[in-house]
Amino acid sequence: MAGTEKQRSTIRIYLDILLAAEDEGNAKPTRILQRANLPHDRMMKHVAELQKRGLLEEVTSGGGRFYVVTSKGKGFVKEVQRAEAFLSAFGVSL
Amino acid sequence: MNAYFILNSALNLIGALVALAVSYYGFRYGKVTGSSFLKTLSLGFMMLGVGLLAQASAFIFFDLDAVRLADRGTFVYSATMIYLALQAVAYLMITVSYARRVQGGSKAAVETAGLAVLALSQPSSLLLLGTHLFELGELVLVVLLAMIVFQGGLIYGESKNRLALMVLGSFSLILVAHVAELSASLLSSGLLYLVGDLVQLAGFGLLLLFVLRSGPDGRN
Repeated sequence: MAGTEKQRSTIRIYLDILLAAEDEGNAKPTRILQRANLPHDRMMKHVAELQKRGLLEEVTSGGGRFYVVTSKGKGFVKEVQRAEAFLSAFGVSL
Repeated sequence: MNAYFILNSALNLIGALVALAVSYYGFRYGKVTGSSFLKTLSLGFMMLGVGLLAQASAFIFFDLDAVRLADRGTFVYSATMIYLALQAVAYLMITVSYARRVQGGSKAAVETAGLAVLALSQPSSLLLLGTHLFELGELVLVVLLAMIVFQGGLIYGESKNRLALMVLGSFSLILVAHVAELSASLLSSGLLYLVGDLVQLAGFGLLLLFVLRSGPDGRN
């Protein structure tokens, strides 16, 4: 049960990070940090995982570092949001 | 095959397709979220779908009508028992999933649901029941469905979620359908059995609406 809870909360964090990056367009790490409400080291760990899965991409522009949601990431966000709606009907949250 | 059996098989076939669609989405979303709740729910609906499919197939493939039913009494009786057992296990899995969510893994709820199915797994008592086995099976389904409806009601009362209301409505209709089918068997009424099938179809129809609303391109 504890493992499931941990996994669910990780999915929730992934969703928060991706939604923050998607809403901002080119999102600065500080914006994602604020929106996802995570300590810097934990956020970077999750961002690295999302990049590894091809859901988030790092771009450098004008000397700044930004994050962009890939098309695969956009699909993932939609799928998780559908799963969230499906789960809510049974009183379960992500 | 006469019109009554064609209609009965068609209704079961539609119900099976809806149950398998719910199972598919449960599996798909369970995979993306890693939710054990969804995996259990998906397995429950898969068994329900297979059970309904088995019952519909028995009539379609063996081209049974009222006359042939009498000839193949043992076959039909066995097929019905398998179908009832599959449904009982399916609803037990859904009840346990719900109980874990609503009552935080309360053992009491899970054990009560388990007791209902245990009644079907005692070979000696089953033999004593003889022709009343169908009624016992239906009674187990009614108890399990009543638990699902009660827990669904608690979830809707707490969340006021429209999708939760759809799920509650569909299970309520399926419960009414099984009460009608149990009554039909006790009163030997073919018409009441058909009414039960139609109400069950309405229940699965509402479940389909829920799947469409929560699934791709759905509005929720």
